[in-house]
Amino acid sequence: MDGVKDILIIDDDKDLVQSVRIILERRNYGVRVAYNGKQGYDKIEAKPPDLIILDVMMATDTEGFDLAYKLKQLPEYRNIPIVMATSFPQAMAEQGPEKFQHILGESWPVSHFIEKPIDPEELLSVIEKILTERDKEQ
Amino acid sequence: MQLGYELVREQLFFRKELIERLPWLIRLRWIAAGTGLAGCAAVYFFRHTLPPPPLVMILFVVLLYNLFFRLIWQYVPPFKYQKDLPLADSHLINARDVQSFSNFAHLQISTDLLFLFLAIYYSGGIYSPLSNFFIFHIILTGILLPPASCYFYGVIVFLLMGTLILLQQWALAPIYPVWLQDGLFSNESGQNEIIIRYFTMITVILVTAFLVTTIKLSLRTKGRELLRLSKALDESNSKLTALYEMVKEMGLCSEPKALMDSATRQAARIMGVKACSIKLMDEQKGTLRFASIYGLSEDYTKSKESIDIRKSSINRKIIEGSVFAVGNIEEQDYFQYPEDIRKEGIASMICLPLRVDKMVLGVFCVYSDAVHFFTDSNIQFFALMSDLTALEIEKLNAQLNRNWFLQKSAHQLRSPMHTVISMLKILRNGYLGPMNARQEETIERCNKRIEMLDSLISDLLRLSISRANLSPDALRPVHAQRLLLSLSGLFEAQAREKGVEIAFQIDESLPSVMASERLFDDLFSNLISNAIKYTQPGGRVAVSLTRSEEDKLRFEVTDTGIGIPEEAFPSLFAEFFRAENAKSYTESGTGLGLAIVREILDRLKGTISVRSRIGEGSTVTCHFPLR
Repeated sequence: MDGVKDILIIDDDKDLVQSVRIILERRNYGVRVAYNGKQGYDKIEAKPPDLIILDVMMATDTEGFDLAYKLKQLPEYRNIPIVMATSFPQAMAEQGPEKFQHILGESWPVSHFIEKPIDPEELLSVIEKILTERDKEQ
Repeated sequence: MQLGYELVREQLFFRKELIERLPWLIRLRWIAAGTGLAGCAAVYFFRHTLPPPPLVMILFVVLLYNLFFRLIWQYVPPFKYQKDLPLADSHLINARDVQSFSNFAHLQISTDLLFLFLAIYYSGGIYSPLSNFFIFHIILTGILLPPASCYFYGVIVFLLMGTLILLQQWALAPIYPVWLQDGLFSNESGQNEIIIRYFTMITVILVTAFLVTTIKLSLRTKGRELLRLSKALDESNSKLTALYEMVKEMGLCSEPKALMDSATRQAARIMGVKACSIKLMDEQKGTLRFASIYGLSEDYTKSKESIDIRKSSINRKIIEGSVFAVGNIEEQDYFQYPEDIRKEGIASMICLPLRVDKMVLGVFCVYSDAVHFFTDSNIQFFALMSDLTALEIEKLNAQLNRNWFLQKSAHQLRSPMHTVISMLKILRNGYLGPMNARQEETIERCNKRIEMLDSLISDLLRLSISRANLSPDALRPVHAQRLLLSLSGLFEAQAREKGVEIAFQIDESLPSVMASERLFDDLFSNLISNAIKYTQPGGRVAVSLTRSEEDKLRFEVTDTGIGIPEEAFPSLFAEFFRAENAKSYTESGTGLGLAIVREILDRLKGTISVRSRIGEGSTVTCHFPLR
């Protein structure tokens, strides 16, 4: 085993974080959690995870996106895959006020979108697929 | 240049009268000469005296030359075109042609005068009963031709008659007996009487000329005023129409950027200027930024990307509410970067605050490449335009904010619910250890109820958005058949899962309709899912999208389901309504589906009809206007 895969969950909903943690730990992933973007970034700086599960709307409507963009601009973190979990469907982002428009102009900084409520099997298969592909690339 | 053109236009307007009167003059001459001949015949008949032969001959000659004039009017250009032209189009004649009309009038009047003079000469000179007829010519000249011509003909009459009297007095010309002298008139009088008669006649003629030309001049002044007024009305009418079009176009925009782009483009077009811009204010930062630009180069706007209001006294004043108008950029030393402005080819400009009541949204400017381009009325009109634009921006922003609030509320409601659903899934999937059958069943029920709550929130959100007419979807041409085709797989899967047979009949050649894909998506999903939901396994659902006989888009869903009881029909489209048989058939259902359908139909100007028989099935038919 090439070590335990380290997954960072960033979401302000503690119950949801707990649920995801249960799902991931059952598959023997190493799980770290953060409850906002700043905390998440600190944990990434401390040790870059193998994958990030990120919520969109936290303290601000775009906190998740803002963090994702920030990471994509930094070479050392650019390649960390991000799974974005949101009950904020893409269509809504298209309809939202201008503050969302700038996001749509650029490519999504995210490997995969997963819609809440999270389906455990779907989440696990997405994570597995992304991590396998990443291992192959390396 | 413009002044010259306007003058010609005005002249043409007044010459219209001349053009209308020319054929009338010819008709009048038929009557005059005809009546003259009839008069001669009557005199002969009643009094048995022959009229002087030259007089009769003159009358015939008048008829002859009148025929000649008639032929000219009929066949010689430019007159011949005139008779085919509707009166309203007489302004199409050009200035040179107008001169021809004027000459034609002179020719007719002078010929008439000459022959009238001859008739007077042969019927008794100054004593002739015909000598008063000169007045008619003077009146006609006064109406048709400029005042000077009227006096000119008056003087001609004065000279002709004077010469005749002198020649006759000096016996250089023969004196013809006065026609009808035996009974009605007499020339048994002396020299004094001749002079008195002569001067009375001339006075009458000159006074008539004076009265006719004065009246005509005053009418013309009024006409000119009317013309100016109608021109001003015309201008303001076309401006207002343009403004209306502008507001209409802005009203159709679903996004602030598109709205402002439409405003700047239209404003530049309506004002007839080279460029227009909108800068929006960021109150917190105290800056102005270009939000929409029409006709200005990127170089120009880039250097002023963000304007600090505190540092720019001009912009500060505009935001405080004053109009900033510069007639000639060169003359005033206002600008921080006059070079840029010069390079851009801007010579004059006006800037106004974009505001709703006292709230300032930004600054609206128009730029012209001509100096002193903007007049007071121009500025006033631009202020109106700017107020309307500000209102439209504010309206759209309010709409987007309300919309955003609704979506945000829905999100806030759904977030905890999604967490609960996620947690239930962990329980159900055994991540926290096995459960006994009763626990599992309870969890399953919890899950079902919470999923219903989720769809209720989604439906409520959809309904409140469309009810408040907040839908951000701009209507554009949509090919409904393509959308239905792409969704058909989804419904087929749904039907298969339930054991219901589903068939689609889609006319792929249908033209587009004005709609949005999301609205059609909601409509199709609601009606087809309903049909599948309320049809028992083994039943059938038929979906068709075709062109109706009335040339409308027709969408029809027929099922062999549980049907709708008659008493449910009146409340079918009411919110939260579910028919009794539907409730007992399945628990799931928010009762909002058909209410949403009705809102969509209202938006798309469609109609819906429902036929159903309990236990046998239902048919829902929608019609939409094709584009």
